Amino acid sequence: MPLWFTLAVTKAAATLSRLLGKGGGHALPGLIAERLDPGLAGRLAARLPHGVIMVTGTNGKTTTTKLIAGILEANGERVLTNSTGSNLRRGVTSALISAADLRGRLDATIGLFEVDEASLRRVTGELKPDHIVVLNLFRDQLDRYGELDTTAALIGEGIAATTARLYLNADDPLVASLSRYASSPELVQFFGVDELPPDAPDVPRTASDSDRCPVCRTRLVFSRTFYGHIGHYTCPTGDFARPTPEVEVTGVASADATGSRFTVAVDGTQTEIVFPLAGTYNMYNALAATSLAHGCGIAPSAVAETLATTVAAFGRVEELTLDGRRLFLLLVKNPVGLTQVLETFVSREPAPQVLFAVSDLDADGRDVSWLWDVPMEALIPADAAVLTTGIRGADMTLRLHYAGIEADEVEDFTAAVDQLVSRIPVGGTGYILPTYTAMLAIRKLLAQRTSMQEVWR
Amino acid sequence: MSGEIVIAHLYPREMSIYGDLGNVIALRKRLEWRGYDVAVRPVEVGEPFDLDEADLVFGGGGQDSGQLVIGADLLARGEKLRELAAAGTPMLVICGTYQLFGHGFTTIGGSEIPGISVLGARTVGSTVRMIGNVVVESPFGRLVGFENHSGQTTLDPGQEPLGTVIKGYGNTSTGHAEGARSVNVIGTYLHGPILPKNPRLTDHLILTALTRRFGVTELAPLDDEVERRAADVASGRPR
Repeated sequence: MPLWFTLAVTKAAATLSRLLGKGGGHALPGLIAERLDPGLAGRLAARLPHGVIMVTGTNGKTTTTKLIAGILEANGERVLTNSTGSNLRRGVTSALISAADLRGRLDATIGLFEVDEASLRRVTGELKPDHIVVLNLFRDQLDRYGELDTTAALIGEGIAATTARLYLNADDPLVASLSRYASSPELVQFFGVDELPPDAPDVPRTASDSDRCPVCRTRLVFSRTFYGHIGHYTCPTGDFARPTPEVEVTGVASADATGSRFTVAVDGTQTEIVFPLAGTYNMYNALAATSLAHGCGIAPSAVAETLATTVAAFGRVEELTLDGRRLFLLLVKNPVGLTQVLETFVSREPAPQVLFAVSDLDADGRDVSWLWDVPMEALIPADAAVLTTGIRGADMTLRLHYAGIEADEVEDFTAAVDQLVSRIPVGGTGYILPTYTAMLAIRKLLAQRTSMQEVWR
Repeated sequence: MSGEIVIAHLYPREMSIYGDLGNVIALRKRLEWRGYDVAVRPVEVGEPFDLDEADLVFGGGGQDSGQLVIGADLLARGEKLRELAAAGTPMLVICGTYQLFGHGFTTIGGSEIPGISVLGARTVGSTVRMIGNVVVESPFGRLVGFENHSGQTTLDPGQEPLGTVIKGYGNTSTGHAEGARSVNVIGTYLHGPILPKNPRLTDHLILTALTRRFGVTELAPLDDEVERRAADVASGRPR
């Protein structure tokens, strides 16, 4: 099939999908192309002069991809990315199609794709990425993937199909163990955090996702734990330990709801970074982006300039003003993510105003059991005023009831947001914590009422 | 009403997945709301634990790797657990621990993880992943939950199931039986977690424990409106 024909058909489908209001046309062209010409994405990607970067892992893909895009653009690259969050194979293919003209020429110098953990092996063989960043591995929507060890093995297969440079989180044992899939040990670069300030609230550690040695299954000994199973570890049998990171956070000067200031050491040079996204998890995202930039020959000082001007990725941590109230929109997808968001924003606030919007459509994860893996008892102050909504709002109400917090359940999103706003005094702050599809719906209704940018462009 | 109930939580590090911890929270809160003290004691691999002290035993689901880690330790405690089960100690085991409370689990790769035969059930790994919302008719009323397993569990002749599946898979991808129940031991594939949304089952386990420990014959009723609403929503979700 001629290239122009596939491109014309798929581009028409994207336009039609947008006209019919079926979203932004981020998946359909890819789906059609997979049928008409399965090699299309690979052939288009091969035309990118500076190659392809992929970002995967459970939490932080969209934010990290956005950070890397900013860094690359500041360095003069024209970046082709699937920035609207469609991170399955079809989303990557669609992004390539949308950036190509009918002769398959791309107006870009480099490809940057966030890729779903289970999809990685299907796109690496095809797109042959030059760089792969793996952020972390937590339980997330396991109803789709099976088990965490399976997910790690899938990523491993994806890595093994390439000769890419790897950027791995040294502080996540399962991610660090992926170095064994590298085509050569020199291609692996680790990033990690040396120490965090000790002022975090005391969160009881529930069952950790992977505190076993990936080699021999002995329980790892942690000398430091930052969140979840992220920390400094060693296997008592001596067969596995945290690798020494080449790119490391050596000190954190401050960390609060407005962001953090920290020092990154790269090859013995210390660079101070002021990063406006709150949370330890976001500091790791910035660190991963710095690590990738180092591998691409971009100096940490240039990275610091870009990071200082960061705006949050779509729905992850967004701040807006509505009728004189300050609202934070904080996407939550899994226990570790929700724990981090509550710890960063809600746990330190006196009498916080919170709205949980929990749904169970495919993109949310159909199993809402994970709400019970979050230590709400320790993270939500007893005087919090809490609302719940969403398809499974009743499950959230129940979870809170067993944590000693009585929430008010509101049927639809509009009424829920209205009620939240009415409870907050002018000049006060509220927190909206939605799952993915609830975030899309709430963001849409907020966009109609504030200056928030419309999502589908 | 006062006194302490001891819950033995089997292998919380390895076998606690998909919110199974919520079952312990539900047991604890519904005991506390009725004026009892609760001690939850973890049973860890390789660490001594006097199971005779347990009024209730709970074990959750886990990854295959978790089952491998706990396998030998559970076998070593098998005789004691069989003795307690026969004597009437209430136990609830979910998914991965349910499988090992049967005769054993043959993985898809053909390796055998022996079980402790508290329940007459045998599990064989399959390529069918049984995922989705489940509704079960049981002696404890309608039960709602979420299942996620590829093990196919067949019950011995004479082994009672926990109930009959109305929506979802249950023990196998082809039959209608869900879980297993003998004396006061209940095995099930239901996450969700199962207990918070199914308070009748929770109260059955609690009352059994209180009867055995303190001779209590009746539980003070609780307002289960929030529980009922969440269960109603869950039962209406697609498989």
